[in-house]
Amino acid sequence: MSYKDQLKQLFPSITYDEETDLEEYVFINPKEIVEISKSLKSLHFNLILEFGVENFKNHKGITLIYVFEKADYRKLLIMQSKINNNAESIAQIYPTAMLYEREMQDGFGIEFNHSFDTRKLFLHEYYPEGFHPLKKAFTNAHLKLKGKVSPSEEYVFKKINGEGIYEISVGPIHAGIIASGHFRFNVIGETILNLEIRHFWKHRGIEKCAENKTPEEGTVFAESIGGDETIANTLAYCTAIEKISGIKVSKRAEHLRLLCAEMERIYSLLGDIAGMIVDVAYPVGASQFFNLREEILRWNERLTGSRFCKGMLIIGGVSKDVNSKTLDELGDYLNYFYSQFTNSFLKILENASVLDRFETTGIIKESLVKPLNLTGPLARASGVNKDERICHPYTKIYEQIMNPNKILNEGDVLSRFRIKANTIKNSANIILMIIKNMPKGEMSVNYDIKDGCSCSIVESSRGQNIMFINIKNKKIDRFKVRTASFCNWYAIEHAVMGNIVPDFPLINKSLNLSYEGNDL
Amino acid sequence: MNSPLFRIIAPKAKKNRDDEELKRLRLELKRSIGSVFGRSMAIREVDTGSDGSPEIELVNLTNPYYDIEQYGITFVASPRHADVLMVTGPVTCNMVTPLCKVYEATPSPKWVIALGDDACGIGIFKDSYAVIGSVDKVIPVDVKIPGNPPIPIDIIKGLLELIEKIGKEGY
Repeated sequence: MSYKDQLKQLFPSITYDEETDLEEYVFINPKEIVEISKSLKSLHFNLILEFGVENFKNHKGITLIYVFEKADYRKLLIMQSKINNNAESIAQIYPTAMLYEREMQDGFGIEFNHSFDTRKLFLHEYYPEGFHPLKKAFTNAHLKLKGKVSPSEEYVFKKINGEGIYEISVGPIHAGIIASGHFRFNVIGETILNLEIRHFWKHRGIEKCAENKTPEEGTVFAESIGGDETIANTLAYCTAIEKISGIKVSKRAEHLRLLCAEMERIYSLLGDIAGMIVDVAYPVGASQFFNLREEILRWNERLTGSRFCKGMLIIGGVSKDVNSKTLDELGDYLNYFYSQFTNSFLKILENASVLDRFETTGIIKESLVKPLNLTGPLARASGVNKDERICHPYTKIYEQIMNPNKILNEGDVLSRFRIKANTIKNSANIILMIIKNMPKGEMSVNYDIKDGCSCSIVESSRGQNIMFINIKNKKIDRFKVRTASFCNWYAIEHAVMGNIVPDFPLINKSLNLSYEGNDL
Repeated sequence: MNSPLFRIIAPKAKKNRDDEELKRLRLELKRSIGSVFGRSMAIREVDTGSDGSPEIELVNLTNPYYDIEQYGITFVASPRHADVLMVTGPVTCNMVTPLCKVYEATPSPKWVIALGDDACGIGIFKDSYAVIGSVDKVIPVDVKIPGNPPIPIDIIKGLLELIEKIGKEGY
């Protein structure tokens, strides 16, 4: 019996909606969401996304969509709940729901009953009161911001009182060449007692900007979600549109797409590894990895015309073919890369002063992985084998050519360092296999856009990126994206506890989460 | 392929077509920073809503391939230490106040570079509710470096343009 049938037995009011090979849609009674969530939790389902859509499937008001996944179950269970302006919070059952609900509270003005945190999320103090950008009644245009903010309107951080406890507030503009984010520490002596992060300084309104655009115009918005996740997000976007319209991409285009995706994973994780070594004051060791990253970026330019592979992925395939001579040369380079990388990596691990800083620093416990929906290398360093290339395969290619991932249980900076290195080596091997198996075929196919909605999941360098696209009258009606960083950011609040303040940059770099992918 | 011999004879990364130009630009940089900035130019990077790629390229400028630090350019941790602010992104509503504060905190004489299409006001977000549109709508901008994102060579050219401008117009 499928899980939705099990649920139907418990909750007769559930009605079935469409079903694809990766998604199961059902309608639920809004009043029963808390009970349904409890049952799903006991069935080991996890909430991975919750968001709203206005004017969806003949419902004038707002439809809340809850996306659930289960570790050994390929399909996503998608609950649709038709509400007006009020819903029950499920944050008591799934802690990550608190963020999604705060997001919807800003976006649509939905009120959540029994919610334990109702502070604003992405609309900061200077936005006018009662402004909800995702409502269809609002047409995208510049706003008149508040001139002044009174102290009572300011964001409230958690206060910790006691003898000898002091606050350090960092950001939004903080040291280094880095994006904007705010960190509020409570410290006793040198030890961090509590950290609260506040983000969304870089909120650009991507979701609204993409609305009413044609699917082709929407591609640049998917690319701009995050510079170092360009391919991952565009891949999720194109996959969603292709699923809706029934477009079949040629085998060659599929291989080229994955080649770019793995190149992106390599350069992105190389940056993390180099950054971690810089943060323990060992720039000589780091420069090896910076060199390799520059070489990969130059290869990207050679393969796609852009150092960040921008413009490579299009709906229906890829925009540029790569000739076999270039592919052979890339194969030679990757063999050289592999040996260079392995050598440099082993040398770093021989260095006692590096290990001293890496070991037992910033531990993320395995018990946090599921409640916070932590994904990617970060989960694999904390004992959970989470990789969407295997858990929710968006292509058949990976299962044929991918080596099994390494899993470590310690959850400290050192294990993240090693897992990331392993992921890089794995990706290099995948690319070599792709080059070996590269089939002949079309670059892109012709297509017709159809109306409908779809949810797609992709493994980016940081973990699970999920995208929901609804097409109405051949235009984008709703563009919802949640990158891995949105959930993974909250791991840092737990990882730094009990560590000393000077280790914070290292822990931050070992996670290297995306600010722009979080803020949208 | 993993033999020690291969490591010696293996081609280093492909020669970039810009390598010759890079050599010329770096000498130019050294000369002009020496004469106009007294050998050191301090840059504070401010991100007001970019997609993260301009930051990656700025970090790349300090890698051994470009290594602009040896020509006198340093990226500093605080605007109080900076001569130049390098602003990326279309200036989100949430970042207007921090950007103004950073500008005020930077000691005079100071200059501002807008880096990337978004910062120059020609990016895809310029009409969004969540942004102001371009850096020059908030603080005065001296040089614009367009690109999505601008490649390292273009950033160096932009820096030279600024130094040349200051050399001509004075502080």
